[in-house]
Amino acid sequence: MRITLQEDLDRLQADVQQEGALVLRSLRATVNALRTRDLELADEVIAFDDEVDDLYFSIAEGIHTLLARQTPVAIDLRLVLATLHINLHLERMADYCVTIAKLTKLVGGVEPDDDLMQGFDEMGTRAEEMIRVALESFAARDLDGATSLVDLDEFIDRANRRVVGHVLELGGDEEQREWGLRMIIVSRCLERIGDHAVDIGEQTAYLVTGEFREFTDASRDDMPDRRV
Amino acid sequence: MVREAEVTSERTPIKLAPVARHEARPRGEDAVFEIRGLSVRYGDVVAISGVSMDIGSRQVTAIIGPSGCGKSTFIRCLNRMNDLVPGAAVDGRALYHGEDLYGSEVDPVEVRRRIGMVFQKPNPFPKSIYDNVAFGPRVLGMSKQLDERVERALDRAALWDEVKDRLKKSALSLSGGQQQRLCIARALAVEPDVILMDEPASALDPIATTRIEDLMYELKNDYAIVIVTHNMQQAARVADRTAFFSVESVDGQRSGVLVEYDETAKIFTQPSDKRTEDYVTGRFG
Repeated sequence: MRITLQEDLDRLQADVQQEGALVLRSLRATVNALRTRDLELADEVIAFDDEVDDLYFSIAEGIHTLLARQTPVAIDLRLVLATLHINLHLERMADYCVTIAKLTKLVGGVEPDDDLMQGFDEMGTRAEEMIRVALESFAARDLDGATSLVDLDEFIDRANRRVVGHVLELGGDEEQREWGLRMIIVSRCLERIGDHAVDIGEQTAYLVTGEFREFTDASRDDMPDRRV
Repeated sequence: MVREAEVTSERTPIKLAPVARHEARPRGEDAVFEIRGLSVRYGDVVAISGVSMDIGSRQVTAIIGPSGCGKSTFIRCLNRMNDLVPGAAVDGRALYHGEDLYGSEVDPVEVRRRIGMVFQKPNPFPKSIYDNVAFGPRVLGMSKQLDERVERALDRAALWDEVKDRLKKSALSLSGGQQQRLCIARALAVEPDVILMDEPASALDPIATTRIEDLMYELKNDYAIVIVTHNMQQAARVADRTAFFSVESVDGQRSGVLVEYDETAKIFTQPSDKRTEDYVTGRFG
């Protein structure tokens, strides 16, 4: 038994779970800031990203060292490679939270549309659920759980399409239209967070089965397209 | 390159069918060895049991596994080195280009010319560099154009440039890595088509090891190479296919068995057998 390798792998997985917890905090805070027009909280989300980035770099360095020193193979190699990708997906999610926070600051003076805000709240909740499912499936090597992310993603995609439709109906003055365009980006960010959660599910599937495959693919007729 | 016809014409008649030149055949597709149900006993001790596998031409095949799993026993069967061990008995079939290596008509000396072997510890004769390489061809009556043959073998073993000015010096004056390449040159000098290597780099430093590994990469264009190694990363680096042997209880007796044999990339990324995974990840053995 290679004790050092196992300890390094355990630490890596714990760090990824920790990074996921940070992303969940960031996501909840950014949606709250948007909904309540809390610009202070939006600033906190932007500053908080440094913590995610620090952990991201620490995990990347850990993987670098582990590959160089332990030369993992088989299941261990797949775990390290999956972790490398998951680390990046989580960091991207945090970046989307920052984008939402910045947009929140830009539209601070505009009275929000209640229906839209309710829609974002729902998208945020679903995105949180997806992140939890993605991280739990990864920890438990749960292929079914990982695959279920595709269905969960469909709810966010639908909500995203509703937002776009709603914004198109807004009309109104220039300020309102500008607000609407920014809200489309917010919606898109939440939708992309869902996509990254599905990507984490794909990494779990790779870890379990050893096969690289996408759960969905826009260019193939026999697979659903979630990039919308 | 000396052609097969020239070589055979100056040797004692052989009892194995001539080997077709393999340049026209795609790498690895044709089997040099077809091993079927091979078992080896040393007296009452069963060393390996029921091994079946094909070994392809023009590729490197690595044999890995824990101590005592029969790796060395297995490759020693491939050139009948086990004949030299008192009490050794071989069951099953070991076909070399379709011909039974253990057939009654087969000459073990000719087998060992065709199927050369390099050992863990470099073992040059206490003679000159030149004589070490020339020894095999002389004994086998292949001494025509001997200088060219020696140069060609040393060149193929990536040693010529280092020794061309001191061919008459003792082989023992060479470094460990050079001595090992000399042993490879010695094997190449008698025009084999298979080279067996039993832990060829385990006594060498990392630089000398790299040279041996580079050499294997070069030589597999013309030879089948079978290497036993304890160093799994070495197997991962050099081998096209890897066989994992382990020790199991067979009919109530501990014995070496072949657990898994596949493309090296598969063995080291997604082995099919849990025992292989436990071994390559360092959780067993």
